[in-house]
Amino acid sequence: MKLLVCFITGPDLDMLEDQDWVIDKNLQIQTGFLKPALSTYDESALEIALMLSDASESVGVPIALNALTVAGTAATAVLKTLIALRFERVVRIDSHEDLRFRPRTIASILTQYVLEQAPQDVLLLGRQTIIGENARTHLLAAEMLKWPCITHVTGIRLDDESHLTVTSQTDDGLLRQQIQTPCVLSVGDAPKTYMRVPTLKDRMRYGKRPVETLFTRNFQLPDETEELIHLEVITHERAGLVIEGETPEKKAKTLYEDHLKKRLETL
Amino acid sequence: MRFKAILNGCSADIVAQAEELNGFIFENLRSESAMGSTMLLYAKKDEKEALLSLVPTESVELVRINRYQPETILEALTTLERRERAHLYLFPSGFAGSEIAVRLAFRMKGSSLVQVKRIDCSQTHLIAKKTVYTSHVLGTFKLKKKPYCVSLAKGSADSRPIPPREKLSVTDIDMTHLREDLFIKASQSVPMKPARNLARARFLLVGGQGMHNEENTQSLKQIADAIGADFGVSRPVAMRAWAPMHRLVGVSGAMTKAEVCIVAGVSGAPAFYAGIEKSKFIVAINNDLRAPIVKTADVAIIDDYRAVMEALVKFMKAQTRKDACFGKETDSSHA
Repeated sequence: MKLLVCFITGPDLDMLEDQDWVIDKNLQIQTGFLKPALSTYDESALEIALMLSDASESVGVPIALNALTVAGTAATAVLKTLIALRFERVVRIDSHEDLRFRPRTIASILTQYVLEQAPQDVLLLGRQTIIGENARTHLLAAEMLKWPCITHVTGIRLDDESHLTVTSQTDDGLLRQQIQTPCVLSVGDAPKTYMRVPTLKDRMRYGKRPVETLFTRNFQLPDETEELIHLEVITHERAGLVIEGETPEKKAKTLYEDHLKKRLETL
Repeated sequence: MRFKAILNGCSADIVAQAEELNGFIFENLRSESAMGSTMLLYAKKDEKEALLSLVPTESVELVRINRYQPETILEALTTLERRERAHLYLFPSGFAGSEIAVRLAFRMKGSSLVQVKRIDCSQTHLIAKKTVYTSHVLGTFKLKKKPYCVSLAKGSADSRPIPPREKLSVTDIDMTHLREDLFIKASQSVPMKPARNLARARFLLVGGQGMHNEENTQSLKQIADAIGADFGVSRPVAMRAWAPMHRLVGVSGAMTKAEVCIVAGVSGAPAFYAGIEKSKFIVAINNDLRAPIVKTADVAIIDDYRAVMEALVKFMKAQTRKDACFGKETDSSHA
């Protein structure tokens, strides 16, 4: 079974200070100085793929894990890690364009890659990116590929060469479905799926394979049907009154007597 | 602008969907409400009458299907909307809403946006706002092609009960002949422990990554029980499985509006804060004065959350005993 995980790295926005949130005339916020990181959803997608590969031996069905990103060279460190984790093909589609709010473009590139260059059985993505929060790429890719799609996936089990059992969150709780490939799966809040770290030995042994590089100029890029026209930083401020006291007990007493007692009595 | 609200009557949260859409229509489309209609998909015949009381507009198409499956819903919608399309399709904020909105827009050659907080239809195109940059920034988008399909962001509008209607125009449509998804071979709901609805909590205690492990998470849950508070957690805690997902507070989980909300060991990332921002009074307990939550709380204590919470339990229990001695009526659930 061939499985392609598509991901995008983004800046760790929690590292930005208040004064760094400046929007320039091109609707950009300077984040280039931050180390690129995986979104938690993409990280979960990659780890779920690795877990599936771990289990494939006992099922007797080999899984070919592949990974793809559309990004500049900033993504190289993550791609090298994936090579060390034994992803078979690790592809970077070189792009220096502003793709923050272009899910249709990304979906179209993925579709062309799968249909024309490297056929796959499963396309696995995180549900949304760090910057764009678009949450549409997987759905648009499913439509373009004419494949079914399951969203908010929390776990996948390999059944045989063409079947998976997929657990996903729905509005009424969890749903477990046995499905036939091909399909698009988008990963939601999946507990215990922080991505593993390759050992130094694996980095030395496998990590030297090159990242395959393709170029966006070799793909047909569609027009987006939505356009970003304005950005404004969201600010939330309350009084932020810090309760002073010599001990935690004294602080708790002030909190209770001055701020909570009356409020709790009215509940 | 002619709009259509799409409701999933097969889901147990249909009341919440309907009231959310009603609130959104009231806040964003009040002047155009006469041009609105609803499409309500349902499976069980005997629920039809009850569903009619959940329609947020003056007309409704009641579409009967076998069961809710995204591929079937999409086929039903594209078939039914082939002739006369609305300009705008509104979907609720749940898991199903965004999925159908995006795929329907693609099939109808329109445009889509998900997790939308506000819309403005006074211009040539639909203008919609949603958070970006992990909820740090509000983005304004122009949707360029009709029909516009948007799903709401959680908490984008205050839920508004559906008023009784004297006149409701009802059209019955049977789509039970649609084929089931062939790619699904078997399907089973996974039983889950019923979760208390955190969105309705009046007194809430939320623990974050500062709890460090599952054992501390359990201890804080016991403290919540002792003081009569509902217990929630931030996303890193749920992702580490220190607490079940149904306790998650924030954009991925419950959007709460407690009278009193205490957050312990939570840094206060915007995606979390969105889940408590409607609270009347927020208390932050954190070791780090520079944690974002300190500035966005009403009061803060900079200290070890465990020592503070244990002391707080002691004061609250002492007060209960005092009230009992003097015969003061207390609500036992809050002390």
